Amino acid sequence: MKILIIEDEHSLREVIQRFLEKERYVVEVAATSQEGLRKIAMYSYECILLDIMLPDGNGLALLQQLKNMHKQENVIVISAKDSIDDKVEGLELGADDYLAKPFHLAELNARIKSLIRRNQQQGESSIVQGNVKLFPDKYEVYIENSLLDLNRKEYDILLYFMTRPNHLIDKAILAEAVWGDHIDQVDNYDFIYAQIKNLRKKLKKAEASIEIKAIYGFGYKMTTEDK
Amino acid sequence: MKLIYRVISRISVALLILMAVWATAFYFIIIDEINDETDDTLEDYSEHIITRALAGEELPSVDNGTNNTYYICEVNREHAIEHEGVRYSEDMIYIESKGETEPARILKTIFRDSLNRYYELTVAIPTIEKEDLQETILSWIVTLYLILLFVIIGLNAWILYRSFKPMYSLLRWLDRFSVGKQLEPLNNDAKITEFRKLNDAVLRSARRNVEVYEQQKVFIGHASHEMQTPLAICQNRLELLVNNADVTESQLEEIIKIKHTLDHIIKLNKTLLLLTKIENDQFPDQKEIVVNDLLKKLIDDYSEVYTYQNISVSFIENAVVKVRMNDVLASVLFGNLLKNAFAHNHKDGRVEVLITSNGVEFSNTAELGELDSSQIFTRFYQGAKKEGFTGLGLTLAASICKLYGIGIRYNYKEKEHHFNLTVPKI
Repeated sequence: MKILIIEDEHSLREVIQRFLEKERYVVEVAATSQEGLRKIAMYSYECILLDIMLPDGNGLALLQQLKNMHKQENVIVISAKDSIDDKVEGLELGADDYLAKPFHLAELNARIKSLIRRNQQQGESSIVQGNVKLFPDKYEVYIENSLLDLNRKEYDILLYFMTRPNHLIDKAILAEAVWGDHIDQVDNYDFIYAQIKNLRKKLKKAEASIEIKAIYGFGYKMTTEDK
Repeated sequence: MKLIYRVISRISVALLILMAVWATAFYFIIIDEINDETDDTLEDYSEHIITRALAGEELPSVDNGTNNTYYICEVNREHAIEHEGVRYSEDMIYIESKGETEPARILKTIFRDSLNRYYELTVAIPTIEKEDLQETILSWIVTLYLILLFVIIGLNAWILYRSFKPMYSLLRWLDRFSVGKQLEPLNNDAKITEFRKLNDAVLRSARRNVEVYEQQKVFIGHASHEMQTPLAICQNRLELLVNNADVTESQLEEIIKIKHTLDHIIKLNKTLLLLTKIENDQFPDQKEIVVNDLLKKLIDDYSEVYTYQNISVSFIENAVVKVRMNDVLASVLFGNLLKNAFAHNHKDGRVEVLITSNGVEFSNTAELGELDSSQIFTRFYQGAKKEGFTGLGLTLAASICKLYGIGIRYNYKEKEHHFNLTVPKI
């Protein structure tokens, strides 16, 4: 799985590279639009992370060139400009996703995985962790072929963890992702705990091989038991 | 006060004083002139009578066709010496020929005949009635004053209107002008030098204001944007660290604390960016939003989040309110107000959301006392510092309201905060 990062900021490039390498991707980097274009012309990548603001030109122009070259790469646009215009233009020019800085690495990972999944499995797509199989299109979860009955919030939480396995998830981020952007700055996260408690109970009862662990003071982490 | 009223009121007062002084002077001068003329006649008459009396000729009969009257009476020497010369006076006298009493000018003089007998001659001529004259002068002065006043007002209004045309058009232009909006062209042909200079000065200053405002806006926007990348790096490095198996529990605790502070900075920066974008009107997409539905969902969410506070919520829908706005901003606006109602509340408190045909009212029992209503919508105002709050929530709400012409008001009664939104009808 090869990924190209086109990002001019050295430190950010390095941290993303280190993270993705840990996730067992093969990572190439480019600091400028020229360098990026050269690499794209010579090699092919599963996914390209493209910063829109580059010293030698707008990333959107590069996206246009990519389109002209009839390249099939998945492109995730990264931008410090959380601007809707950029987002719309980027997506219109063929970018597959859009991430506004600052973003979480776990989020980036989930987006990359979702793109790759979308590409690999045409038609029916599912996410599998251990003996749990989740169908995002149908909002259904199966454990060893038996349907698991979840309420809306429990399903959303499970989906979030399934796409970010083995990552520490900050409960504040989880709250924002599941309940919505307006749930931030709350000083008590008991409501998440209540939902996760129920979800855990259901997973345990159905003998799922995944487990959501609480990390004190921070949040949760989903792990898969080796069976 | 309008300039024209000012000018008119001043002219009226000045004219009133001027006319009063002039009328008084006019009256006295006229009276003086009349007396002078009467005195001359009296003198002539008295001389005529004295000459005749001394010559022993027949005196004019009392009933001589004129209203003039005279008496001659003998006086003793002491009286004569004491009252030597000519004395004038004014008095009411009885005119036999007319049979009535009238005001008259009276001359008294002493003369001596050849036998050294002293006589006093009194001659009287009826004169004008002064009260009549005063009345006439007063009434005509008032008439003149009113006519002059109307003429002056009319002239002034006309002249001011004509001469101040460029001024009024400049004022209208200034009324329409506001920083942050496109600067309208100032089509104001002024032939008067002062107005031309004023036009130039105003236009220059407006341009400078717009420029400074734009620069400031761009600066804030850029500063916030520039911070995004370093913030991303910090956040991502911490994330790597948190996921590192070598980190001990105590280290993790510290990292988490750093992360929370960083999250707060990120939140702050995002909110500032959002504010900048709202003020730049960068949310073009609008759609019709049913406020009732949006609030119902938000209330569900917040009730769940604040379960631990045991807050009782009442949602009263007396009408269905719809508003045309950007859906993201609608969530931000209603979400912020609702969240404030929950967050700045006490345990076992109360939240009420009331929807009427005019708009929405959020009320909640107050955790602390009244907020400073002149300050709450300014940036970084916080009644009492609360961890995790940026102090920008109400500023955001106010900016969004301003963008869509929604009225927002705060008041405090019976230990409850009330936020009132007046939604324009669509």
